[in-house]
Amino acid sequence: MLLRLLPWLAAAWLMAVGIYGMVTSRHYVHLIGCLSVVQSGTYVLLLAIGFVWHSGPPIFYDHPPGTPAVDPVMQALVLTDVVVGAAVSALLLALALQLHKRRNTLDPQELEPIP
Amino acid sequence: MKYSLVLRYALCILALIVLAPAAVLVALHMPAFGEQLPAYGATVNAHVPYMRQATNVVTAIIFDVRGVDTLGEEFIFVAAITGLAVLLRGGRGEDASRKPIHTDGRWLPARSEAVALLIRWMLPATVAFSIYVMAHGQLTPGGGFQAGAMLASALLLLFLGDGYRSWRQVTPPTVMHVLEALGAVGCVGVGLLPLALGAGFLENVLPQGQPKSLTGGGLIPLFNVAVGMAITGGFANALVEFLEETREPEAEGEQ
Repeated sequence: MLLRLLPWLAAAWLMAVGIYGMVTSRHYVHLIGCLSVVQSGTYVLLLAIGFVWHSGPPIFYDHPPGTPAVDPVMQALVLTDVVVGAAVSALLLALALQLHKRRNTLDPQELEPIP
Repeated sequence: MKYSLVLRYALCILALIVLAPAAVLVALHMPAFGEQLPAYGATVNAHVPYMRQATNVVTAIIFDVRGVDTLGEEFIFVAAITGLAVLLRGGRGEDASRKPIHTDGRWLPARSEAVALLIRWMLPATVAFSIYVMAHGQLTPGGGFQAGAMLASALLLLFLGDGYRSWRQVTPPTVMHVLEALGAVGCVGVGLLPLALGAGFLENVLPQGQPKSLTGGGLIPLFNVAVGMAITGGFANALVEFLEETREPEAEGEQ
C-alpha cells in the first residue's frame, strides 16, 4: 500500500519543501533553486501518472510495437516541463543578476517596492 | 513598506486557503498508481509506431501528435532567451579578450594541464554524441531538445579546458544568433510545408520512409533538427550572456 502511495507522497513532499523554501528564502538564487525543487515535484507527479506496472519504455526499437509500455504522453509533458523550466530559470537568474547590480542586494526582504 | 517575513507568510497562507481545496479534490480523484494506462497514451502507443515509422513514441508525440504544442513551447524558450539577452546586454565583455573581474581575496588558480588535455579528448566525443542523439531522435531516446542542450554544454567544456577566449572564438554570438533564429524559423517552416502541399498545418504528409531508418517519420526528423538548432543557439547565447558578466566592465564612454 505504501509503495502505491509513495510517488504521490514524494511529489507532494517536493512541492511542499520547495514552496516553504520560497516563502522563507533570504536569497534570490536560493529562491530560484527552490522553484526548481517545486518543478521536480511536477516531474515526479507526471511520471507517476503515466507509470504502469510490468511495462517497458514507450520506445519500440528493441521490442516490437504492442509490448506493454508506460504512457508516452506524460513523458512528452515532462520533457516540455524540463525545457521551459531551464529557460525560465535562466531568465530569473538574469533578473537576479540585474537586481544585484542595481540594488546591491539579493535578499527579498531588503527590497523596497519601486515607488 | 518592506516585504517582511510576516507578509510573505500571510500571502502564502492566503494562497493555500484558496488553492488547497482544489488540490485536495484532485488528490482524492487520482487514478490508482500503476494500474491502468491512460486512454490517450494507450491509443498513441498502439497506433503511432505503425503510422509514423518512428520507434520513439515520445518524440513522435512531441514533433507530430502534439506538434503545435511544441511550436508554442519552442517560442516560450526563444522568448525567455531573448528576455535574458535584453537584461544582460551591453556594458560587459562584448570584447572576447576582456580580463576576468578580480575580487580581492579570491585566488584564481591556474588551469591544470590535465584538465585541458581531458577536455580536448572529451569535447569531440561529446559533440559527436550530441549529433547522434539529435539524428536518432525518432528512433531511440533523445531528440532535438536534449541534443541542443548537450551541444551547447559541450561547447562550454571548451571554456573549462581552454579558457574564455578560445570558447568565445568557437561560439561567436553572431553565428549562435543566426542558428537560434534559423531554428525558430525552421520550426514554422516545417509547419507551413504541408500547407504548400495542400494539407493542414504541421500535418505529417511526407513519405514515412523505412522503419528504424534515420529518415523515417516524414516531418519528424525535420522538425527535430530545427528544434535542435534553436535550442543549441539559445542555450549557447544564454551561456555567452552569463559568462560576459564575469568579465571586467568596459570603460565609461567607450560605447
